[in-house]
Amino acid sequence: MTDNELTTQFITLQGELKSFLLRMTASVPDAEDILQDTYIKAQAKLDTFRGESSLKTWIFSIASNLARDLLRSKKRWPESVTDICREESLGNRQFFQEAMHIRETSPQGKFEIKEHIAFCFTCVSKSLPLEQHLALLLKEVYGFKVTEIATILDQTDAMVKYYLHVSRSRMIEIFDHRCSLINKQGICYQCTELNGIFNPKQKAQEELAKIEMARDAENKSKEQLFDLRMKILQELDPFESGAAELQLHHLEQNRQVMEKYLEEKG
Amino acid sequence: MDQQASTKSGKAITTKTMFSRETSVSTTILADSAIVWALLTHASDFPRWNSTVTSLKGEIRQGGTIELKSTLDEKRTFKLKIKEFVPEKRLVWGDAQGSRVYSIDKGPGDGVLFRMTEKIGGPLFPLFAGYIPPFDESFERFAADLKKEAESIQSSKS
Repeated sequence: MTDNELTTQFITLQGELKSFLLRMTASVPDAEDILQDTYIKAQAKLDTFRGESSLKTWIFSIASNLARDLLRSKKRWPESVTDICREESLGNRQFFQEAMHIRETSPQGKFEIKEHIAFCFTCVSKSLPLEQHLALLLKEVYGFKVTEIATILDQTDAMVKYYLHVSRSRMIEIFDHRCSLINKQGICYQCTELNGIFNPKQKAQEELAKIEMARDAENKSKEQLFDLRMKILQELDPFESGAAELQLHHLEQNRQVMEKYLEEKG
Repeated sequence: MDQQASTKSGKAITTKTMFSRETSVSTTILADSAIVWALLTHASDFPRWNSTVTSLKGEIRQGGTIELKSTLDEKRTFKLKIKEFVPEKRLVWGDAQGSRVYSIDKGPGDGVLFRMTEKIGGPLFPLFAGYIPPFDESFERFAADLKKEAESIQSSKS
């Protein structure tokens, strides 16, 4: 493979790769840095690519390793991340002023519940152990097979199956306990709350009826509801969607709150 | 019939002497040894799949220590040390009164033979023996839960 061929194929992959890195790091600058470093490293190591895996798997391996290097020393977020960040953000007038400005002026500033569901998953899944988080995203959102994930993570197929099973079970349990969209007893209703702030004239119930996961919550199993949640992530590009700027602004706020919170906790 | 052969079906067996008691269970698990090992060594994940463990804190690694709460005596926290840690083969944890040994061996076909044994005892054993509940039912549940979970992971989509 030549440098030019690599560049051409990297360009076709970069959207997916960048969204994967954002969902791993919850940071736009980190995702962009790793994306760039991945390309540089792939170019430098191109002569070692033997075609034993697909180029996509090889590039995701490089990116996953770089993400691991960055995240290994950082603490994982608590599963109550959205509660903690909500408390902090409610008292932060500047955050809401900026968000309202984005809402009113940006073509990517509309608030959609569906986009917030994806945003919420990005935050909550950072409570999983790092390897489980990587495996879950690669399988459930980016469609890699177990053997490909084993190559990317340099693990056995058996261990990847374990990571996937545990991380999926954990996320299902967390959302079943927390998410009021799928469980009436759920303790978190932040997406409808924010919808009321950003779209005051809109009826939340009408919006929820458009989302399969919320509309069919009573008729589907927890497993099926999780698959529908994953489908929302699969269909959304967090950098290109109609709510991208608003959600990325919110994500940066949460990242800063989490860094401060984890530092204070020691 | 030897003890191992008699317990392969997941039925626990206990043998008692004046100064010790040993309970053992074995079962064939149709899963990769790496999956069985992963389940046995990820401490915080135990309560999710194992109905005999209510809480397990600490790190299961050579020399590590763990704090275990079990359905056998929910008020008590067992502080245990990891005494042996041979990946995908053998794990031993315990305290001064006894040790629990987990072993994973090649089983029939693609499966593995899982065996769990706990021996408690010592010179003072006759004094406290009456206060220690029988382990048989808990061991059988442990082995059945492990088998079910490992086989479920093994058969998950690739």
